[in-house]
Amino acid sequence: MQTNKYILGVYDNPDKIYSTTKKLINKGYKVDDVYSPFAIHGMDRLLGIKRSNLTVAAFLFAMTGLTLAVTFQVYVSKIDWPMIIGGKPNLHIPTYIPITFELSILFTAFGMVTCFFIVNRMFWGKNADIIDPRVTDDLFVVSIQIQENKTDIQALNQILVENGALEVRERIKD
Amino acid sequence: MSYESPIRDQLVTGGKTYRDVTRDVTRPLENAPSKSWWIGFSISTLVLALWIGATTYTVFVGLGAWGLNKTVGWAFDITNFVFWVGIGHAGTLISAVLLLFRQKWRMSINRSAEAMTIFAVICAASFILSHMGRPWVAYWPIPLPNAFGTLWVNFNSPLVWDVFAISTYFSVSLVFWYIGLIPDIATVRDRAVSKARKFWYGFFAMGWNGSTKTWHRYEVISLILAGISTPLVLSVHSIVSMDFATSLVPGWHTTIFPPYFVAGAIFSGFGMVLTLLIIAREVMNYKDYITEAHLDAMTKIVMVTGTMVGMAYITEFFVAAYSGVEYEQYAFLNRAFGPYWWAYWTMMTCNLVAPQVFWFKWARTTPWFIFIMSIIVNIGMWFERFVIIVTSLHRDFLPSSWAMYTPTITEVSILIGSFGLFFFLYFLFCKFLPTINMAEVKSIIPTHHEDHGHNHVKGENHAN
Repeated sequence: MQTNKYILGVYDNPDKIYSTTKKLINKGYKVDDVYSPFAIHGMDRLLGIKRSNLTVAAFLFAMTGLTLAVTFQVYVSKIDWPMIIGGKPNLHIPTYIPITFELSILFTAFGMVTCFFIVNRMFWGKNADIIDPRVTDDLFVVSIQIQENKTDIQALNQILVENGALEVRERIKD
Repeated sequence: MSYESPIRDQLVTGGKTYRDVTRDVTRPLENAPSKSWWIGFSISTLVLALWIGATTYTVFVGLGAWGLNKTVGWAFDITNFVFWVGIGHAGTLISAVLLLFRQKWRMSINRSAEAMTIFAVICAASFILSHMGRPWVAYWPIPLPNAFGTLWVNFNSPLVWDVFAISTYFSVSLVFWYIGLIPDIATVRDRAVSKARKFWYGFFAMGWNGSTKTWHRYEVISLILAGISTPLVLSVHSIVSMDFATSLVPGWHTTIFPPYFVAGAIFSGFGMVLTLLIIAREVMNYKDYITEAHLDAMTKIVMVTGTMVGMAYITEFFVAAYSGVEYEQYAFLNRAFGPYWWAYWTMMTCNLVAPQVFWFKWARTTPWFIFIMSIIVNIGMWFERFVIIVTSLHRDFLPSSWAMYTPTITEVSILIGSFGLFFFLYFLFCKFLPTINMAEVKSIIPTHHEDHGHNHVKGENHAN
């Protein structure tokens, strides 16, 4: 049975929190997340986070931009209002390349970043769920979800402290 | 786990801890501005006023306020535009290209370089608007359904490509910069004492809490943004160069223009980054973050790109001679020995000859000297654009149309004033946003196992 209770171990060193998290995972604890002031290399793999699909989203947005740009330019210069400028043909694919390229990039950037905000539920003015105000400064926090009748809190506390936790706290998420 | 090579020098010196980084970078934000900030800010505001005055005058009077004539229809305006766009390129190069190449020295300079990109593109765009003569119809190059029957833009025209390139470049750079800022804005939010600071930094931090899940996605999108910004930055200046290269004017009509312009853009951009950072590390005391090793690396790039640009100048002469086209030959001889010879030789001296001093270690590591050199580079690159534009145009095909161009006071005021605009924005940035990417810098300082925060020996290295 999962609960909404979490145990937080506060560390001041990325290496310590990495090795502690590894131990906890090996012992079968349910590590919910690790909070850090910067990305700890390899931590995402350790927590079993799958590679994000944002790359796929980026590619799809690039294709959208590309298709729209080509369609629009062909429609304007061949179908809607053909004009002869400098004796050049109406359908002049090579000159579409710069704008197509730029629009693909524009769509990729904005589309992907919007998706990033959506999957992280980030928006302007959101009230941050701050674990510890110093987690954006110099502290690293591992949060372990407690499972009813399964998690031995005493043993967990001991592991955290033995591995150099500055502090162990309990947190209730609602 | 990052591996720190025991033989490489540390990128951040002074044995900084994570807390030191936070404290050093947020100090200018959390305290009243220093006297030097006020002096700098006041001067730039005055110069900005000059820009506002001269631009407003141009808008009311029309392009007759400038020294343009029937033969020379592009001069200071486009020179300044290309100059400012070029400056912007170093920011993207540092943050995107060096990220792809995993060059960790970029981390303490990328924030201000990207800010520089954005402000430089704003300056560049202002010239595009004012050179149109009627800036209130500046939306015409955008293909919109309109009142003239559906009269669309001409997609054959590089000027239309340029509209797309510059606006994409500006908006993507802004997004890239903002994404990089979010974790640092959250740091400022979490340290904020006053309600207003908590609110505003909290508003823009978008609820960032440093979770590993978010960091994972963050790293993915940073990599992709870097991946798309790299070809973008190359394409932007290539397209700017096509504004000239796709014409038939001797001196412009050359295939070397795109790579030559890109090299020149990086050259001038690094010049401006050096100008800004040498002041910043002095005034804001960031010598441990922007070390002499950073200056050394950047001056090497200045030397390489300067030499590439110089190579292009010489290649142009060779091609003119070898092609046998007499108009082309005349255009280049006129550049070097015609009435604008002084502009040509200023350009040659500043861009090709001057950067060669960076072969010497002393020149690469002496801040005051690099500062002077960075100004010389910027003067040289401004003259490069002036030479390309004005000397190619002023000798028209018919000798009866030959003309000379002299800028008016209005044009000179707009040029000087644009520096006011640039520095005004830069000073505001220094006051309100962290000028060094704290999150990235923290990831490259060594992790001290047992003695974290106590026993830091300068130059100490740990292999983890």
